[in-house]
Amino acid sequence: MKWLAIAAATIGLLLVPVLFGDRFVFVFIQMLTASLFALAFNLLWRHTRLLSFGHAAHFGAGMFATIHLMRLAEANVLAVPLPLIPLGGALAACLLGVVAGYFATVRTGTYFAMITLAVAELIYALGSQWEALFGGEAGLSSMRLPWAGWTFATTGEVYYIVLGWVVPAAAALYFVGLTPLGRLAFAIGDDETRVRFLGYNAHRAKTMVFALSAFHAGLAGGLLALVNENVNYGAFGGTVSASVVLHTFIGGSGVFLGPVIGAAGLTLLGALLSDVTRLWLLYVGAAFVLMMLYSPEGLAALFIANLRLWRELPWPSLVRLNLLGGLAVLAFVCTTVFVVELAARALTEGASATAVVLFGTTWSLSSPVTWAIPIALALAGHVALKAAIRQRRRLEDAVA
Amino acid sequence: MDFFVVSLLNGLSYGLLLFMVSAGLTLVFGMMGVLNFAHSSFYMLGAYFGYSVGRLTGFWPALIVAPLGIAFLGALIERYLLRPVHRHGHAHELLVTFGLVFIIDELVKLLYGNYPLKNPMPVELSFSAFRLFGLDYPFYRVFIALVAIVMFGAILALSRFTRVGLIVRAAVRRPHMVEALGHNVPMVFLGVFAGGAALAGLAGVVAGVFYPTGPSMAQELGVIVFVVVVVGGLGSLEGAFVASLLIGIFSSFAVGVNWTLADAFALVGVAGADLWGGAFTVKLSTVAGAIPFVLMFLVLLLRPAGLLGERQ
Repeated sequence: MKWLAIAAATIGLLLVPVLFGDRFVFVFIQMLTASLFALAFNLLWRHTRLLSFGHAAHFGAGMFATIHLMRLAEANVLAVPLPLIPLGGALAACLLGVVAGYFATVRTGTYFAMITLAVAELIYALGSQWEALFGGEAGLSSMRLPWAGWTFATTGEVYYIVLGWVVPAAAALYFVGLTPLGRLAFAIGDDETRVRFLGYNAHRAKTMVFALSAFHAGLAGGLLALVNENVNYGAFGGTVSASVVLHTFIGGSGVFLGPVIGAAGLTLLGALLSDVTRLWLLYVGAAFVLMMLYSPEGLAALFIANLRLWRELPWPSLVRLNLLGGLAVLAFVCTTVFVVELAARALTEGASATAVVLFGTTWSLSSPVTWAIPIALALAGHVALKAAIRQRRRLEDAVA
Repeated sequence: MDFFVVSLLNGLSYGLLLFMVSAGLTLVFGMMGVLNFAHSSFYMLGAYFGYSVGRLTGFWPALIVAPLGIAFLGALIERYLLRPVHRHGHAHELLVTFGLVFIIDELVKLLYGNYPLKNPMPVELSFSAFRLFGLDYPFYRVFIALVAIVMFGAILALSRFTRVGLIVRAAVRRPHMVEALGHNVPMVFLGVFAGGAALAGLAGVVAGVFYPTGPSMAQELGVIVFVVVVVGGLGSLEGAFVASLLIGIFSSFAVGVNWTLADAFALVGVAGADLWGGAFTVKLSTVAGAIPFVLMFLVLLLRPAGLLGERQ
């Protein structure tokens, strides 16, 4: 069953350039690199409970190293097949990871988070000034050179390079968890003092996990650089570090594929909705905080809880539960989006605004209909939520 | 000489502003073990609240009302967002405050626009304190410093010489014991969090009329404030004070110094390093932003608990 799902997903991913146009293939590329980045980030958190707020340092290092290698290839200094170049980015990031990780993993918890944050900020500060290495505001550009009959001129061809790296890299990250190093990392996350007492070198293990995480983050960055053919120091910026945190925890940090759900889902939604709303980050932030409050293990945990019930309960009752829950969430999301977007448009129009255009319709701010809609939606959501909670309690009693 | 004195004065006033923001952060960390990512967002909100209240009532009432508003907001956040996730551990509390940063940032942009506001200094404070090397030194910088020093004194006095301070300090050390003695420890936590938020808000009101009030205020100060509390020792108020001054003065001097690594090499007798290019010709003034981080690494390597922090 599990392998069947994986095979289906792989075939689906292989067919993407056949089924979609260039614009969408590019979105898929971003989804894949964001997923790999989030998986790399979560290697640190899920295993060793180390929360990095500066993973953009490694992502950006991968990007810059890749662009530099591409430029060398372009200048005929280096003869490396194009598909292999991102590996150079990954190695550069790994090197940075060894150094940064060695110092950062001396500490855990808040101190660790602060050190990683500071490393990224430091590199960002240098990146904006050091033109020779980072290219200043304009950044560095290069071109993909053809190799072995492939021109890599279309997004579709590049997509296969990205896919060809991301899937094995993700698999490697999964299998890291099964190696002795991975088991040790889990133990360190549980109780580091005890691990040290048993005679293991916890610091070395943490540095190695950090370097592995940096390697894969750099690979993700390198692949994106290969696609964009351009990178500037913004790659080290706080938004990049922040997005991987948001992706991972909304998707679910406790399950291996959780970060992929968050990264792919949010990247896709962001690409689809960024033209529609200016407030995308507000919604993501709100979703993140709500997720931390009500389901700290993210979306993936909700799926898993559902799967468990699925095995033990007759499916019609479960379908009803999910429908009710889904309706409640949908109603609340619609209410929030409606009110927030209405307010945003009214505020940009200024104090004299009497009507705003939203979803292709003109809404009068003084009309009762305009305000009745969100109130009705919120009420409907409330009723559905109450019903869902009652249903869930009944089902849990039935299982117990 | 004039460069030295002016840099020193500016550094002191900037450092004291940093202290105003980091004081609340380090207090809350010392108490709850939570590093509040949204703390500099409270600072930004303080500036905006101060602006809105100030337009209605003038600067002085805003100096009181806006921090109270931020304190109320902080209390709500502690009660309804942080307390529920407390059982999941510190990392999740940290993450909640991290998410709040985005919400506050976007709401500020939504309500006030994505550009700096015209937030003029009150007339009664915009005069020259003294003339220095032919230049007028603004009194407002002195005012910022005065507010910060009064604040430092007030917090120290409150925690050392009052009963409230005694209970708070005890609750940091032995929360269960304090609870057993009949004190409402969750309420103490709430109070400290709200108080910390109010301090950031106060700093925001004071700084908002001098530095630009804009949606990037929080981001500009955010990481530096973390550096200050780590360098000073997480949870140590005195440490935050020393670290703020250090970082304020360092950054203020670095902006005006055009030394490069090559000059440093020349100083020890290696001439011609500037021909190597790259990192050797980057001027110190252009990487002034990186200096606090370098300081932080040094402190963490040489004295992991921070300048005045307690050893764990």
